[in-house]
Amino acid sequence: MKKAISLKVNGMERSAEVEPRLTLLELVREQFGLTGAKLGCDIQVCGACTVLLDGKPVSACSFLAIDADGREVLTIEGLSDKDKLHPLQEAFMEFGALQCGYCTSGFILTAKALLDEFAHPSEQQIKDYLAGNFCRCGCYQEILQAVKEVSSKA
Amino acid sequence: MKNFDYLEPATVAEACALLKERGGEAKVFAGGSHVTILMKQGLYQPTALVNIKKIAELKGIRFDPAEGLSIGALVTHRELETSALVKEKFPVLCEAEREVANIRVRNMGTVGGNLASGEPLTDLSQIFIALDGKLEILGPNGRRAIGVEDLFVDFYTTSLAEDEILTRVVLPPLPAQSGIDYIRFSSSSVVDKPCAGVAVRLTLDQKAVQVARVVLGCVGPTPARARRAEASLTGKPISPESAAAAGKIASQECSPTDDLRGSAHYKRAIVGTLVKRAALKAYERAQESKK
Repeated sequence: MKKAISLKVNGMERSAEVEPRLTLLELVREQFGLTGAKLGCDIQVCGACTVLLDGKPVSACSFLAIDADGREVLTIEGLSDKDKLHPLQEAFMEFGALQCGYCTSGFILTAKALLDEFAHPSEQQIKDYLAGNFCRCGCYQEILQAVKEVSSKA
Repeated sequence: MKNFDYLEPATVAEACALLKERGGEAKVFAGGSHVTILMKQGLYQPTALVNIKKIAELKGIRFDPAEGLSIGALVTHRELETSALVKEKFPVLCEAEREVANIRVRNMGTVGGNLASGEPLTDLSQIFIALDGKLEILGPNGRRAIGVEDLFVDFYTTSLAEDEILTRVVLPPLPAQSGIDYIRFSSSSVVDKPCAGVAVRLTLDQKAVQVARVVLGCVGPTPARARRAEASLTGKPISPESAAAAGKIASQECSPTDDLRGSAHYKRAIVGTLVKRAALKAYERAQESKK
């Protein structure tokens, strides 16, 4: 029943034996110990489980691990360059763009995909791109400022 | 989620054979954004998923001057949104896609999956129907084509047989002097499914409307044409008054239900307004297209 898959996670080759029903979120959290991506709504609405798959944001809660075979996954744990934080991580701290932090990894990864696609997005583009990530502490203004700050320095 | 077999056919014919073999117990797995959620919730419990993602013939967007725009079933929402070819031929699709769900669902969900799920809260279907789009379907008995409207039977129910696969959407080139507009209305958050979504396409002869398509979505079990509203717009130029009158007719041609996105009464009022606005915009675009 289980199938062997191999994929690149945060730049490292990993392999696993998975049942078809295992989600990508369960794989990274429970088998690889990467707990930055969180389970929130479980229906692809809130964005807490966002990871980048081949550079694009997807909801890991609703993505089958078996379907990630041969692909490249980036979680928040793979974003910094060893001890040097990514500019988005620095900016989120600088602007206080989080309180509880539950949504933060999803927001930062989505913002990274945005800035990889458009180096200097308009405010509307930032809002459109991040509209599917929810922050229940309500840090939206600070998040917007943090993303703008990073794009202005790019 | 209950466990299931994960099958990976290399061709559409193989996929159809697997579906037939499983006799309705298997589900097609394209983007997976719809089916995985329903499986987690226990609403679907298939014994197998037939992953069609790797089948090359289901991919890609092409344009042929005679046939029109061909959208492969595996084209994602995001591909449609960002395609330069689609932007050139049917920019209304790119505009509509910007508001479909969120970036993650658009990266994962496919056009074919969106249609084949029979989801009643749709955006693309209204536009495809307004453009007289056709669907190509492949099954054990060969290939067939149907109008997009004929796919939808009831809530989450389509006319696809259990061993058939939707392979592509074909949108014929628009006749001269045509204009289309699509307006989606969300009553809560912008990333929510629409409360109502209305497409109006008009083709003119001089100033008079020769062909009208008024397509209503999210306000009944399936997306559907408002044929009496279409008739009221045909044979004459469009004025703010005639557009409003068509809106009023269309609001009586749908069958919305009360839910968290609004009462049936409210949705009918929204439909009336959207039809009026879309008809005026489509008329303006049709007149501009003449130049």
